[in-house]
Amino acid sequence: MLGLTTGPVCLASCGPVVLPWMMVQPRGVRAHSRQLALFLAARLAGYMLFAAAVWLVGASIPQAWSGRAGIGRTWLFGGIEVLLAAALVVYAAGWPRRRCALAETPRALVQIGEAQSARQSGALALGFLTGINLCPPFLVAGVRAAQLPSLWAALVFFVCFFVGTAVWFLPFLSLGFVQRTPALVIVARMVAALLACWYGFSGISILIERGIYG
Amino acid sequence: MASNSSTVARPAAFRGVGRSILLTLPIALWSLLMFTPTLQHPGRDRIIGGIAVIVFMTALFFLMMRTGETYRWRRIFFVALGFLFPIGFIASLVAERGTMSIPISRMVSGDTPFCFMVTPSIILPAAFARTIIFPGAIMSTATNPRSIAIMIGLWFAFTLVLGKAWCSYACFFGGIEEGFAALPKRRRLHKFVTKYGSVLRLIPWAILVFVVLVSAAILEPVYCMWLCPFKAVTEFPAVRNVETAIQFGVFIALFVGLVVVLPLLTKKRTQCGFFCPFGAFQSLFNKINLFEIRFDRAKCVDCTLCQTSCPTVALSKESIREGKTLLNCMKCGACVDSCKKDAAVWHLKGTPVAVKPERARLLFLYGAWGLATMFGGTILAGSLAAIIGFLPWK
Amino acid sequence: MRTRILSILAYTGAGFMLLIAASVPFVLIGAFSGVVAHAGLHIDPMYSGGKIARTVQREGYRIVVYQPVQPQMLERLEPFVQIVFEPADRLPAHVSDEIDLDGDGRPDVRVSFTVPRDANAKLRGDVTALNGKFVSLTHVSDESFSRMVVRAGNEIVVRVPINKEVAGR
Repeated sequence: MLGLTTGPVCLASCGPVVLPWMMVQPRGVRAHSRQLALFLAARLAGYMLFAAAVWLVGASIPQAWSGRAGIGRTWLFGGIEVLLAAALVVYAAGWPRRRCALAETPRALVQIGEAQSARQSGALALGFLTGINLCPPFLVAGVRAAQLPSLWAALVFFVCFFVGTAVWFLPFLSLGFVQRTPALVIVARMVAALLACWYGFSGISILIERGIYG
Repeated sequence: MASNSSTVARPAAFRGVGRSILLTLPIALWSLLMFTPTLQHPGRDRIIGGIAVIVFMTALFFLMMRTGETYRWRRIFFVALGFLFPIGFIASLVAERGTMSIPISRMVSGDTPFCFMVTPSIILPAAFARTIIFPGAIMSTATNPRSIAIMIGLWFAFTLVLGKAWCSYACFFGGIEEGFAALPKRRRLHKFVTKYGSVLRLIPWAILVFVVLVSAAILEPVYCMWLCPFKAVTEFPAVRNVETAIQFGVFIALFVGLVVVLPLLTKKRTQCGFFCPFGAFQSLFNKINLFEIRFDRAKCVDCTLCQTSCPTVALSKESIREGKTLLNCMKCGACVDSCKKDAAVWHLKGTPVAVKPERARLLFLYGAWGLATMFGGTILAGSLAAIIGFLPWK
Repeated sequence: MRTRILSILAYTGAGFMLLIAASVPFVLIGAFSGVVAHAGLHIDPMYSGGKIARTVQREGYRIVVYQPVQPQMLERLEPFVQIVFEPADRLPAHVSDEIDLDGDGRPDVRVSFTVPRDANAKLRGDVTALNGKFVSLTHVSDESFSRMVVRAGNEIVVRVPINKEVAGR
């Protein structure tokens, strides 16, 4: 229920990242289904990681992360936003054939570009980064999961939360019907670049604020 | 001209004086009707402003009829609107609160006038959450006549009739850069614009998608808070912390760059053509609007004068070959007036191309000029009254 | 034949457009405005302050307490409660009121400010939280949309931040 009711917030948080990326995938509902599935799978992996972390460390972490400074205005959140911005810049620049040094193993996590395998890579990288992006419903879910009696219960809770939020991403499949034109690809890349500026500015301002005020 | 110095190869008089006057009569009567309340105003400044606008709009329309040209006369009105609106607006702000900046108290009291540029940003939150993410009043009040309902109603009515011609006949910001674009004799970045124009004109679409998505996510009008160059000549959130200081810096930089410097260098409406997301939004309505500009392929010699004269790069070689403009055409008439072969023509969708194009032009102009007189003319009259009010001999 | 029919439709449509243009100032603005006004839309609570919860009558003026405003979606907003003192021109020179914000019958904050004689002068005030549910403000004017003591028209608008830990976020 938490996932279903907070889905719009997740959509607002992750949708701007997903939309331009999906606009440049090949046309076809089947191709889109695969890409969306990869994205959601990586997002689920991020959720599981977070669930395990909060259960092991305790509920104080999410509570501290939503402290006086504002929800998620912490070093970690700022850092994640900067990483997301970097991923979007790489994507917007259309980094087709270059490989990051870190990308050899596992290659799929980092490389984003136009090569066949890179399309899957883009889904994984963006999915994981949005999966660990600390939006308010995520923190609420984290507090609740941390209070559950076992790690297994926390993981199951987050799986259910994930399913509830994932429902809101299904409409993205309709983008498979949209005709691909070079203009659309360029616009999608520009949108990614603008979002990179937005997330980068937001992340850097959080990091500066934390640096000054602690 | 139209925005470069090429002269149009047509007779000095397109139509006789008598016929021109006859065709101008409806506009003259319409202007009188629109400004009758102004003429009954007790303030002398208002009456002078009203009379000046009636004469101004009627005279320009007469010249459109007499010469057969549209762009040159429309531009005079549009540039006047672009420069006089900020003067009148700023004067009213300074008189009322002594500053152009908007304090939070104004936003909280619902006294902020609604600007049409925020329309795309408010659609998603309004549709899904019934929330208007703009500090104003839904209905007009004594202190805020430019309410959200009125401005949206006005915008919708205009858009039905004009489509993207809003950007040529109604937008009270576009005239500023059109004025700067008209100043130089030569364009300096012509090669750059020609080479990258096809990509540059996609930027407004990207900004549109960006502001719509992020505005819906954070429930703030992102374009108004961060990207509007015209905040520099209207009103802006008061600078009270680092964030608002950065916002102010961005507004100034965008205004100077996109509205002043680049139009001077390129002789193009660079903010309109290469940045404005509202313009991209309006382009969508060109799909359903009945009026457009088309090219008679039988007469066209592919001289690309039209392409050079277009202020917003709304023409490409491919589109001209297909006999059409691109979706972002704002129906300013520059290409029609610059074409020496009369290949570029006004067109009413559903009718044969280049058959009685003047009829299509007239039908379009009556609607466009009528609305321009009603809306832009009112703004002009108010601004003129404000300027007259400041004159020392008054 | 088809061309003729299309042309007739086109000219009819163009005529209709002219009719729309002519009716804008007389009919259409009012009609469209009415549609928007009756669409059930409201101004975002960050600007409007939210819905009214209760009104408290004092001698010569009223205190209007609003419902708490919580950030929606990813709104960058501290949760707050708005309090309005009206009419401003009937307020005493110095106001110090204890106000119940959550409707439990016990005062939650004390709001204090001096009303300047000049309506355009900047106003500053203090809000003292009487319990842990709200955040105190000292000598504040228009710090943010969640923290303010300002004059808006003929009202004094006070916004008191809600303690986030209590707000559940």
